[in-house]
Amino acid sequence: MNATNTQEVTNNVQYMKPVGKGSLWRKVYKNRALYLFISPFYILFLIFGLFPIFFSLYLSFHKWSGLGKMEFVGLKQFTYLLTDTTFWQSVGNTFAIWFLSTIPMLFGALVIAFLLNTPLLKFKGFYRTAFFVTNVTSIVAVTIIFKSIFGNHFGLLNYVFTMIGLNPVEWLNSGILIKVVIASMVIWRWTGYNAIIYLAGLQSIPNTLYEAAKIDGANLVQMFFHITIPLLRPIILFTVLMTTIGSMQLFTEPQVLLGNSGGVGGAGVTITMYMYKQAFVDNQYGYASAVSWVLFGIIALFSLLNWKIVQKTGAK
Amino acid sequence: MLRKEFSFLLVLSFVFLMVGCSSTSQSSSGGKDSDGKVTVTLWYWNRSLDDNLLAKAKEQFPNINLVAQKIDGNSYETKVDAALAAGGSGAPDIVGMNGAARYIPHADQFVNLLDLGASDIKNQYLDWKWNYAVTPDNKKLIALPIDIGPTALFYREDIFKKAGLPTDPAEVSAQLTTWEDYIEAGEKVKAATGVKMFDSINRVFTQYLGQSDSVYFDKSEKFIGDGGNVKKAWDIAWKVNEKGLSANLVDGTEWNASMNNGEIASFIGAVWMKKVLEDAAPDTAGKWRIARAPGGDGNHGGSFLGIPKSSKHPKEAYKVISWLMNPKNQLQSYKTMDLFPSTPSVYSDPIMSSKEEFFGNQNTTEIFSQAAKNVKPLYFGANYDTVNSLFSDQLTNVANQNLDSEKAWNDVQKQVEKKLSR
Amino acid sequence: MNGKFSRLKNIALHFLLLIGVFISIFPFYWLIVMSTNKTSDILKFPPKLIFGNEFFTNINNVLQNVDFFKSFLNTLFVSTTSAVAILFFCSLAGFTFAKFQFPGKKILFTLLLITMMIPSQLSFVPSYIMISKMGWVNTFPALIIPGLANAFGIFWMKQYSEEAIHDSLLDAGRLDGCNHFRLYWNIGLPILRPAFAFLGIFSFISVWNDYLWPLVVLNDPAKYTLQVTLSQLNGIYNTDYGLVMAGTLLATLPLIIIFMFVSRQFISGIAAGAIKD
Repeated sequence: MNATNTQEVTNNVQYMKPVGKGSLWRKVYKNRALYLFISPFYILFLIFGLFPIFFSLYLSFHKWSGLGKMEFVGLKQFTYLLTDTTFWQSVGNTFAIWFLSTIPMLFGALVIAFLLNTPLLKFKGFYRTAFFVTNVTSIVAVTIIFKSIFGNHFGLLNYVFTMIGLNPVEWLNSGILIKVVIASMVIWRWTGYNAIIYLAGLQSIPNTLYEAAKIDGANLVQMFFHITIPLLRPIILFTVLMTTIGSMQLFTEPQVLLGNSGGVGGAGVTITMYMYKQAFVDNQYGYASAVSWVLFGIIALFSLLNWKIVQKTGAK
Repeated sequence: MLRKEFSFLLVLSFVFLMVGCSSTSQSSSGGKDSDGKVTVTLWYWNRSLDDNLLAKAKEQFPNINLVAQKIDGNSYETKVDAALAAGGSGAPDIVGMNGAARYIPHADQFVNLLDLGASDIKNQYLDWKWNYAVTPDNKKLIALPIDIGPTALFYREDIFKKAGLPTDPAEVSAQLTTWEDYIEAGEKVKAATGVKMFDSINRVFTQYLGQSDSVYFDKSEKFIGDGGNVKKAWDIAWKVNEKGLSANLVDGTEWNASMNNGEIASFIGAVWMKKVLEDAAPDTAGKWRIARAPGGDGNHGGSFLGIPKSSKHPKEAYKVISWLMNPKNQLQSYKTMDLFPSTPSVYSDPIMSSKEEFFGNQNTTEIFSQAAKNVKPLYFGANYDTVNSLFSDQLTNVANQNLDSEKAWNDVQKQVEKKLSR
Repeated sequence: MNGKFSRLKNIALHFLLLIGVFISIFPFYWLIVMSTNKTSDILKFPPKLIFGNEFFTNINNVLQNVDFFKSFLNTLFVSTTSAVAILFFCSLAGFTFAKFQFPGKKILFTLLLITMMIPSQLSFVPSYIMISKMGWVNTFPALIIPGLANAFGIFWMKQYSEEAIHDSLLDAGRLDGCNHFRLYWNIGLPILRPAFAFLGIFSFISVWNDYLWPLVVLNDPAKYTLQVTLSQLNGIYNTDYGLVMAGTLLATLPLIIIFMFVSRQFISGIAAGAIKD
């Protein structure tokens, strides 16, 4: 780990030296193969990604129903958004669901990966498949199933509750419980997936490290916190960022579970769901574009924040 | 040095280009196909048209190559919207519409069927249904009617009996003529059996409006939902909620299970709810009856077939849809698919009538066809869906939270005002 | 004494894992139960939690209602092509970002990260407009090529390379006269195997299960992918759950089988320990 850092530092020092134009171009030319290696992404993005972005930027200053003519409205969509309480509610919902799901999910995934990586553990293949199955199944079918598990009156969970003498819970009639149900769907679906990511990451941590720790008298918990987590840092950073981006754009789970209304009092409306509804139900493509740009800003800021926090706490 | 990686990338990109080019050449050309046939494409969703009828249409028009494409009902409008937004490239020649209201403001995107001779067949269809697809200036018809959704009261005969209410459909209609009568009966049912008369107040609200002659907008698109029928429907729904007569169900598994377990005594629903109910509540077979609805006859749902402007063969497309939707074929579709005809001339046909076991051997077609002829003309308005979802969301809140009546109403009015100000 | 203790620990470990497995598998088990029952039985309360005997009726209905095998082959083609291309492009780019220095690297990588933050739901109308102007409506490239601009995969490969490939190995390779591509091909690839396994299976699955975009882009039933084909079973007012769940099961089983084969690659016996000093 240290070796990489020092190399980066020396490289940075190199770049800080005043370089003439000619030498920069020489460097670029020298590294032309590297630019070629990374070029496919940028070329494809220029072709397929850029137009939609500019189109939606253009749209956000217009009123457009999807059919017929666009009408220029300046910043009106954005000023409307500032006073749109439903939009701000959806922002709150999204963050609440993020909070409820991310930490249990990533921690659970780390633990599962760590356990699955135990040498000599039997049935590893079975466990891997069993945990990943959640991510393979189509999300719509999964939501139908979750709907019947968390039904207000006839849900499976309430059936179990009454059998063991507890009071049934109206899961989908409470603003907080709705978010808990959505978060539980997210956790269910993505814990195994993240565990597989961590498991792949663990492969490059040599067993000798664990063995040495064992000889020093470390127990499993100590090994987990002092070897696994620090060494997995790049991978953990990756999952934190991906989870943040993903849950800020959470859509299918709440939409199929609650329909476009987002449940009682709109308690389950996420930002993306709200945006989708503006475009495809209300046919307000201009406003939906404005929402998507604000969402983009939120994601960018929040991701940056998360990145910094995880990097700080990881690097002791 | 770089040759190897260069050639590798080159080969890869070449492969992709090949895949891309070979398939573009297949995209349909505007003119006639090689066999001299004209290709007409049609988009519909499962159960909106009779598949057998579509197969027959291919025989009926030997010079037309009819390509019917069945599309997921849940995402149908998203696909149609994307195709229309792209200026019609990729759009079909014939498009099924689950309701014409949202396309009325964009009538210029569709072929005016009056130009193709639709006025000649106007008298075959129910007036009110036909007019759903006519622009406010009466100059354009954007689609032909498929089926309709006349509404009636579905009720549990056994539960009505226990509550001391009439059980014969004619007597039920005679005693429950207004929504007030209906609520009163609901109180009796609750007192005698503990069963709820209504499944949800959203349905009460929707069905009340389905019986009305105006909803949220007048023909000049002015919002009139701050009073009138909307307020009346709201008050009725409020009253049902206040008296605790609604089971507060949402559609789906909860609704199905409640119906099957006999926890609901009645609901007002469209004719297509027969099939939904039969699937949901097989254990209650024979216990249901259908009567003319309290508050009057109404409509809920029913679809249309239109021709986007981008179609290169509007004449052929019109030939196909006017044939598909002629009375004889609608009769057939009713028999095979339960699609209730929009052509009243076939209602007296013996094929329409049968004894239905699920409804205690009642001939329910009688009820629905009388209701169908009696529906009031109604103008929905371009923003119907937007405004309606605001009201329906607010009613869900009313049902689940302790809201103040006046405040809840004022809140939703404010939301509507704000939405319409965009 | 020690043996007993570790056996106890072993049992506790399996017990812990099995609780997780139960939670994770139960909904899937219920899906199978639903696909073996009639819709009217599925809707009953209390729900049926044991297998019914309608499985073959449901499967048969699915096969009769939609062209399953044709769309299976279409999906297989689209998913495999996408996954292979994504693996190649992403590993090469991710490795490059992780292990080489070149002017503009930081900016280029930040740009790549930012593209991931753009909400995708809205871009599909403009994307559709573009695809239709290119004449790609109703073609497979419309499903494959835009997805190859895969920032996620590059980011993953970069993070993994950073963690797993030690610089000393590359330095040794350079001394042996390897060029950039050789370093990637000979030294990077073998170490990246677990990362390949994850990205490959994940790309494959996400293309396999992709729904809204193929639905909008494809018009010809002969080109439909599985998800689009199966979605034809949905009506607007009523759903035959037995049928839909049977269809879902048919579409999911191949993924599970493929995953079982690939999942062995997650454990790279040789790489662990040998590579890192």
